[in-house]
Amino acid sequence: MMTSENSWIVAWSNALGFPEGLPQWLYAVGALISVFVFVVVPSGGLMSYLERKLAADLQARVGPNRTGPAGLLQPIADLFKLLQKESRVDWSWKENLWLSVHTMALYSTLAVLPLGSMAVLVNTEMSVFLPFWSALVLALGTMLLGLSQNSVPGWFGGIRVAAQTLAGSFPALISLLCTGVRSGSFRWSALAESQGFSPWEWTVFANPFQMVAFSVFVMSGLVLLAIPPLDGGLSMSDIHGGVSSHLYGRRLSLFQFGRFYGFFFWSVITVVLFLGAWDLPAQVTVSLKAGGANQVLALLELIWLLLKTFGLMLLIVWVAKVNSRSRVDQITDFTWKVLSPFSLFALVGASLWAGWRAI
Amino acid sequence: MNLTQPESLKTDLTTWIIGPYHGSLPAPMRLSLSLDGEMISDCHVETGFLHRGLEKSCELHSWKAAVAYSDHLDPECAIFGELVLCLAVEQLSELEVPERAQSIRVILSELARISGHLSFMVRMAKAVGSETIIHYLLRDRERILDLFELLTGARFSLNFLRFGGVSADVTDGFIERVLEVCELIRIRMKEYNDLFTFNFGFLKRTAQVVPISKRLVLASGMTGPNARASGIELDVRKKFPYSGYSKLDFSVPVGRGDSGILGDVHDRFLIRLREITESMEILKQLLDVVPSGEYLNRKFKRDFVVPAGEAYARVESSRGLLGCHVVSDGGPTPSRVQFRTPTVANLMAIPQVVRGIRIEDLPVVLASLDLGIAEADR
Amino acid sequence: MKESVFSALALYVQSVFRGAWSIAGSCKTALPYLIRWGDLKKEVTEGYPDPISSKTADDLPTRSRGLLFNDIDRCTGCRDCEVACPSRCIRVESEPGSDPAKIWVSTFDIDFSRCIFCGLCVEACHPGSLVHTKQYEGAAYAVPDLVASFGRGQITDEHRNKWAMMRKLGESDGVAP
Repeated sequence: MMTSENSWIVAWSNALGFPEGLPQWLYAVGALISVFVFVVVPSGGLMSYLERKLAADLQARVGPNRTGPAGLLQPIADLFKLLQKESRVDWSWKENLWLSVHTMALYSTLAVLPLGSMAVLVNTEMSVFLPFWSALVLALGTMLLGLSQNSVPGWFGGIRVAAQTLAGSFPALISLLCTGVRSGSFRWSALAESQGFSPWEWTVFANPFQMVAFSVFVMSGLVLLAIPPLDGGLSMSDIHGGVSSHLYGRRLSLFQFGRFYGFFFWSVITVVLFLGAWDLPAQVTVSLKAGGANQVLALLELIWLLLKTFGLMLLIVWVAKVNSRSRVDQITDFTWKVLSPFSLFALVGASLWAGWRAI
Repeated sequence: MNLTQPESLKTDLTTWIIGPYHGSLPAPMRLSLSLDGEMISDCHVETGFLHRGLEKSCELHSWKAAVAYSDHLDPECAIFGELVLCLAVEQLSELEVPERAQSIRVILSELARISGHLSFMVRMAKAVGSETIIHYLLRDRERILDLFELLTGARFSLNFLRFGGVSADVTDGFIERVLEVCELIRIRMKEYNDLFTFNFGFLKRTAQVVPISKRLVLASGMTGPNARASGIELDVRKKFPYSGYSKLDFSVPVGRGDSGILGDVHDRFLIRLREITESMEILKQLLDVVPSGEYLNRKFKRDFVVPAGEAYARVESSRGLLGCHVVSDGGPTPSRVQFRTPTVANLMAIPQVVRGIRIEDLPVVLASLDLGIAEADR
Repeated sequence: MKESVFSALALYVQSVFRGAWSIAGSCKTALPYLIRWGDLKKEVTEGYPDPISSKTADDLPTRSRGLLFNDIDRCTGCRDCEVACPSRCIRVESEPGSDPAKIWVSTFDIDFSRCIFCGLCVEACHPGSLVHTKQYEGAAYAVPDLVASFGRGQITDEHRNKWAMMRKLGESDGVAP
């Protein structure tokens, strides 16, 4: 797992005053935990606040405004409230097993989460494809979690999630290939290097086919991970939350945070693939690197990446809040009959474009 | 080609009992569904969770108190329950209603119809999972409730009508404010159309989904917008005019099958939207000339006694035909008050309507039938 | 009519773009609310209890039927309200007061846990002592707390002595006729 590119962890740990020469696995574990604690959890809090404020504004409401200035401390209040919830007394090993499979599949993607040129844990030729593997295991975990619940909503939710994921993974994979066609590699760093700071250097605006690929990639991600508005498997009013309908207390908050995390990591990947990754203006990068301020550069890159990610997420939330929810058969229909042909069209077009440019 | 399933693939039916409280139900009721995969193969409806003994309570109190009780027949549009009871009693005691009072009654009923249809759309939006429009609709309904409060002093249980008129005259500025609200809703109609009528996602969920045939409408006795959406021109306001509806010029919208099939969910939704427009037309006509005169028949006094006999009156509520049968023995209390509510017929039709549909469509269909469990269970 | 491949393809592409256009349009509809444009900037919901933004009892229309209040000095104890009440939430008890022509309303309880705020009692009230206030905040922690008592209490010997004293002095005893 540790490569020469990952020496950033060592640099960070040295800068923070930890002893040098710690074992490799400790560095890796420390990196995973710090990414989760310092990036994912605060993002979840901030995003939940932004989402609620956005929804409130769209719906001519006030939104959270009691805790802290403009309700900014609401996520923290929510966290404490959720932590003191009791879990169920009757204990089902099946449910716990599949909930843990679900959770592990979800957070295994932390290892491949690209958060900056100096914060990429796994940067191999195939690292872009690892999230798909995780998403499929995640769907399996979710499905079995639903089936283990002995309730009709759970069964239907589980089956629907499985159907959605199977449908969504095909166009997602194909449209992913389009970015590789442009950058020539599936390495996170190569994908980022092929783009730039200004929007016309981004993959999404490189040519019309990439634009199609981008739309398909975002929508198929929503289908793949059952995120609103294409979340027929998880929040339809008929099955009342589906898989999560019989979860409550801490388990429900775990599950819901997992859903947020799925949304988050998909958005991060989308930004890295299509929306200019973490690329800052070239002179900034060069001057910071020359000045040896690598940590500052890493932080700036992270902030820029997260800003774009939040923008994309809020856009999706906007669409989800305003439009009605689709039925799950319509979602799979849409995925197979619209997203898949369009993704193939985009792949062929992008390949021809790249070939023509090469000539 | 042989399409019969091999024996080994045959699946059993799943039983799923929803309710009395569940997100897909508009009100407390229990559905026992038999599911074949995701298809509903059979449905058994159980109601009575909101039974309050309303008709019996009417018998225990004075005639005036019966009006206060009929408010609670359908808390969302209380005026229809009051109106139908008052009409029946007036018919029985041959009490004339002054023209001004009739006008006020019609203004209130049309406002209540708009507010009822707006709440119908709220339930529809909830069923299809469109969150934003819910708040827009509730905001506009709030303006109508404000009008009710201005005129009657209450937002829901109005208790405003009296036998032979209404309990108070219109306040200053009420008419102007009604016109303002009409104008507001006319402007908002564009929003509803954007987010509902012509919205792609909404059409996907409603167009050509679960049509109700004319035959089923006639067999189950469905009335009101649900029947009209299936192409049956039945409107009590036209057929048995009351309270001066015969003098008004209005048309009754009938389903046209705009989205492909006559009587589908989208038709049932659209008919309500068009009825809102029609109600606003009626309101404008009424407000142009509110007749002057008394607002209450002076024959109605404290020691008002309803002569022995029985009478039946019907009005067009926002859900359909609402009937009231009163029996009096000349005493101080009603001998029997019975309501015929449109929701009962809709409930009876549910098993036939939902047979063979997907369970994802169930909330949408239930919302589109506009079930008012309060008036069905009473 | 048989569709050609191209017309079917055109229809397909058209429907995809129409869907995208419609979704963009619905997002646009909500845009004025987001950027607070025009008359749409006002929030529908109001903070409660918020002394600045939320409505107070004074903002309600004059006819608002809030909690009931009985002016016991004017109440005659005639029990018309008790009879008129559809939910039987009013309980009146009265006894002869200082002299037989005057009525002492010893109990006047309104059970707001049963009251439906229909206003029939106010209509029935002859002396006009029973009125609807505009107050609407009647929440309580226990159901018995919802009973509002306006009565003067049972007549005791103390009262009788006082009345006798006042009658001697020729003063009014302050009990309504």
